[in-house]
Amino acid sequence: MDYARMKFYCDESRCIECDGCSVACAEAHELPVGISRRKVVTINEGIPGKEMSTSIACMHCTDAPCEQVCPVDCFYIREDGIVLHDKEKCIGCGYCLYACPFGAPQFPRDGAFGAKGAMDKCTMCAGGPLETNSEKERHLYGQNRIAEGKVPVCAAMCSTKALLVGDAESVSNVYRARVMARGGKGSNSPYGWDKAYKNQ
Amino acid sequence: MTNSLGDIQKSKSIIIFGANPAVNHPVGFQHFLKAKERNNSQLIVIDPRFTKTAAKADIFAQIRPGTDIPFMYGMLHIIFKNGWEDKEYIDARVFGMDKIREEAAKWTPELVADVTGVPAEKLIQITTLYSKNRPGTLIWAMGLTQHSIGTSNTRLAPILQLALGNMGKAGGGTNILRGHDNVQGATDMGCLADSLPGYYGLAAGSWKYFAKQWGVEYDYIVSQFKDASWMEKNGFSLARWWAGVAGVKSDDKIENAGTTLKALIVMGNGITSVAQQAKIKEGLDNLEMIVLADPFVNEAAILTDKKDNVFILPAATQFETSGLVVATNRSAQWRYKVVEPLYESKADQDIMFELAKRLGFYEQYTKGMLMQETKDGKLEMIPEKKTFTWPEDATNEIARIIKTIGLTGWTAERVKKHTDNWHMFDEVTGAGMGPMKGEYYGLPWPCWTKTHGGSPNLYDTSITVAEGGMGFRNNFGLEKDGVNLLAEKGSFPKGSKIETGYPEITKENIEKVLGITLTEEEKAACGANWKVDNSNILVQKCLEAGVCPYGNAKARAIVWNFPDHIPMHREPLHSPRTDLAQKYPAYPDKANHFRVMTKYISVQSAADYAKDFPINMVTGRLVTMNGAGIENRASKYIAALTPEMFCDIHPDLALKHGIRNGGMMWVHSPEGTKIKVKAKYSQSVLPDMVFMPFHFAGYFQGTDRTGNFPAGTKPYASGESVNTVTNYGYDIITQIPETKGGLCRIEKA
Amino acid sequence: MKKSIILFIALLGLASVAYAADSQIWGEMRIQNILGYGQEESWKLGPLFTMLQHKYFAWIFLGVLIGVPAAFFIHYKIIGPKVFPHSEKKYYAFSLYNRIIHQVAAVSFLVIIPTGFIIVFGDFFGGGTFVRMAKNLHGIFTIPFTIVVIPMALMWLKEALFNMDDVKWFMILGGYLSKEKKPILAGKFNAGQKMWYWVAILGGITMILSGAMMYFLDFKMEMLHNLAGMSQIDLLRAAAILHNVMGFIVLALFITHVYMSMFAIKGAVHSIITGYIEEEELKILHSTWYKKLKDQGKF
Repeated sequence: MDYARMKFYCDESRCIECDGCSVACAEAHELPVGISRRKVVTINEGIPGKEMSTSIACMHCTDAPCEQVCPVDCFYIREDGIVLHDKEKCIGCGYCLYACPFGAPQFPRDGAFGAKGAMDKCTMCAGGPLETNSEKERHLYGQNRIAEGKVPVCAAMCSTKALLVGDAESVSNVYRARVMARGGKGSNSPYGWDKAYKNQ
Repeated sequence: MTNSLGDIQKSKSIIIFGANPAVNHPVGFQHFLKAKERNNSQLIVIDPRFTKTAAKADIFAQIRPGTDIPFMYGMLHIIFKNGWEDKEYIDARVFGMDKIREEAAKWTPELVADVTGVPAEKLIQITTLYSKNRPGTLIWAMGLTQHSIGTSNTRLAPILQLALGNMGKAGGGTNILRGHDNVQGATDMGCLADSLPGYYGLAAGSWKYFAKQWGVEYDYIVSQFKDASWMEKNGFSLARWWAGVAGVKSDDKIENAGTTLKALIVMGNGITSVAQQAKIKEGLDNLEMIVLADPFVNEAAILTDKKDNVFILPAATQFETSGLVVATNRSAQWRYKVVEPLYESKADQDIMFELAKRLGFYEQYTKGMLMQETKDGKLEMIPEKKTFTWPEDATNEIARIIKTIGLTGWTAERVKKHTDNWHMFDEVTGAGMGPMKGEYYGLPWPCWTKTHGGSPNLYDTSITVAEGGMGFRNNFGLEKDGVNLLAEKGSFPKGSKIETGYPEITKENIEKVLGITLTEEEKAACGANWKVDNSNILVQKCLEAGVCPYGNAKARAIVWNFPDHIPMHREPLHSPRTDLAQKYPAYPDKANHFRVMTKYISVQSAADYAKDFPINMVTGRLVTMNGAGIENRASKYIAALTPEMFCDIHPDLALKHGIRNGGMMWVHSPEGTKIKVKAKYSQSVLPDMVFMPFHFAGYFQGTDRTGNFPAGTKPYASGESVNTVTNYGYDIITQIPETKGGLCRIEKA
Repeated sequence: MKKSIILFIALLGLASVAYAADSQIWGEMRIQNILGYGQEESWKLGPLFTMLQHKYFAWIFLGVLIGVPAAFFIHYKIIGPKVFPHSEKKYYAFSLYNRIIHQVAAVSFLVIIPTGFIIVFGDFFGGGTFVRMAKNLHGIFTIPFTIVVIPMALMWLKEALFNMDDVKWFMILGGYLSKEKKPILAGKFNAGQKMWYWVAILGGITMILSGAMMYFLDFKMEMLHNLAGMSQIDLLRAAAILHNVMGFIVLALFITHVYMSMFAIKGAVHSIITGYIEEEELKILHSTWYKKLKDQGKF
């Protein structure tokens, strides 16, 4: 079977920094406070004509840098492009964070002297390597909505439908339609796609 | 809201005064964004702050707080000067535009620039853009209303729309964004100090109508009051109830039947987000009893020093009860219960039923739900019906009684059907498809009959009354000073039998106006006018003739029963421009304004506030919270986003006072109160103003009061309430506090 | 000694400040993580680190681990060790204080270096608990080294300053390429030992600081921020690169140090255990120092 490539796209013309995605994510996966798998960032805040907001999480990159640098090789990439990792293998070294163009990896602080626990990041609501929808998977990786045929919770909750997720073709079509409707204004490719998907 | 959120997608231009939908209506804001995308709509934002909404605007004007009237007159000045107004529309449908024209002539772009701080070129640019891209819709929210001249602001905005012929058009209208879930429904149901439900007012005739509909004697209701005269007077308002409590230091004289307020019951109102917190605290401290019914602890209980007779009742949330709610566009939606009330909490209505039982009027209170109309226009007890079903019977009672705004069609059955078939309606127009064809989603009022499909856009004459069309309402007589107040010839809803203006329909005039004859049975059955007609025959006959029951009149630019006949600029009571306060002074003080003397000019002229309090202060909302914020601050993920009370301050202003980003600062108000908040550098405010959100409570003038929370109820985040330092000042008609234009002084803490 | 304790406490204090303060890495700072990755104006350390770590670091470590011992093995076979008689007079060269400080550092290195290898080749060990434990030991055993590194630097500083003897020493590579026992110009420490001193001290401090940054992630160094104008994520990436590169050097010299003391000079290791050095050993390998001691009448 030919799997569709799953991608995220946040339309910065539509994102209004409402934080609905990040709160929905934290609630759905019951994350510890301070771990933000998804985060809305705003640059040039308060400057007319320049202010821009976008929602950032793991982009599930093509040739994911995190996967390349991991010393314990805990990452694995699904056929639909979703980049996941094995928390039981992860040693919390932080290398994936240094490699990541999106600041996605998060590290809870467990243990003495601020030792970092296993890395946590967006799973595109696809759980982890454990048995699908098992108690342990939910505990370690959060909900597995993809397995239930549901849209990742961030995109489902997006108030202005700025944040989209889906197979590459559908997402590209929505993006093109919006750019066309705006009379071609805006960037040539979705923000972050050059780094994440090498514009493929 | 005359149109709807979806209808905004049809606008060619959108002008927003004092509203921040990107933050306060994030889901609704997608329609604004889609209008930009699909319709190349021009988004214009007028606000003292560079808001998240402004960040998406095509053009943004940073206005001085409280100067919307000069700005709008400036626009009208340019419109009239260039002849961009819709002359035909004005002639046929507007009364008194000449007076507006005269006033607008005074407001040259240069004068407007001096008063508002917006450069003349920008005003011209905005006016041109807005006039050239029609239909344009005008949006506002609390930024226009929360001023001592709030009523004037909200009158001039529709006048601007009338001048451009934008009213009563798809993609046009004045779309006022409601700030809370079901606040439109709450207003419609008369959660007001000056009206019975359905805007029937407080006149004896209205009381008698309701007495009849509720199945109780008018005299019984009178017996509940000191005497009948008090039934027809406004009550205390939410803004100033505290003035009525004995022991509150205030020189504002009250007129409350010779007594004071003894007890306060609060149901779901964050009274810690109302202006004059220090006074509210005094009011609370001096009451004999306080009852607070909320799903979370109402922070009034934290604010007060009162130790005894403070009761906190656990009210159920909206998920634990069901019923009809009304959206910002006047449409209804059914809300189903998700879970039974948790623990010992009770739904609001159950709390009220229990209260009514104990006060001894439960039977009278609930009787209306057991009644129905008969074919001959009478009312009777429904045979065999002994108990009511909540909330269906209450909904049907509302549909039976509230005619003024056309709720007749809102039976529980119909509203549920709409909600259940949500997917069968168009996102933009709300028009139904398939089995729901001919109806608009949620039956936006007026929904004249049990088969009428609702009215998507108010005052739209391009469609028939049966489809939701109508002219302007005839509510103020037929003529004024010899000028016809009815619409002129040629202006009428499509398909009307009468092709000119006509008065509202009464039993007396129906035959003459419609040119029909009623049978004797019909005559016997129908009420005096369409608003009190249980038989609904008058409305039926109107619809058959394509006539709107409330008449077809002109919109009034002149309101001769208000202090300002046309909207006039008056500086805020605390103005940073003392020179302009002399030129555009506040109203004379108003005695017995919602039972309490309310000051205007005596406050404004008492001191040169700008000297000691040189900084503008505006308040507003954060996207993460609503209202007083208690339920949001009790959510750990939301509290983590805004964990502390803060003040947006421009770095230039902050550095002048030695305040560091993230450092603490004091904000002092002319009322003599102060709050200690964290400074947050922001480019979104000008260096002469600060912005603070009003969602925090738990601290008062620098002291932590969170120890007052019952064990386990303290929220994750607490902070100073900005309303401790919002200034004195209330609207002349509605008494809404002037929180969007005040002054303060800051210092490093 | 006191100084080092203060330093240690200060370091812990700093770490706990970092613990309590707002995170510098995620939260609001994510923006810098994104901007600092590969944009025109940034140092582009993200892709550089990714490339180095993905393709080179592990191989270089493996190369050093195999290559350096291999070279010494050949040296041992061809030239052989230097053997000095152990019956002659001895000189008491290292005090108890010297030896304790050295031993603490030695033990630290004996844990830090193998655990470092386990981390580098974590995939070989299968990740999980074992490698996580190695990572934690790697961090924990930095603490004793952190305590002794300053005293060690101070106690041998004078002897570790380079002088003209060292140029000559380097020209003949300390005579290790010859079997002859001809006196070689060197003070208490020869140029090779001095090199190891500086790598162990400066390199060690570099490793401590870069390691601490990586360990705590938001261990904020205001001075470095101001100095380099780098964002935290850039500093972390720089730290990761530096930690690896410095790792090669420290590792190479550590192996050399061990080879010299254990194999190349038979019994040399005893001097740091007992404190005594054989007179013959001094005469040949540290002739300048020997002359000086003789002038002082120590022999």
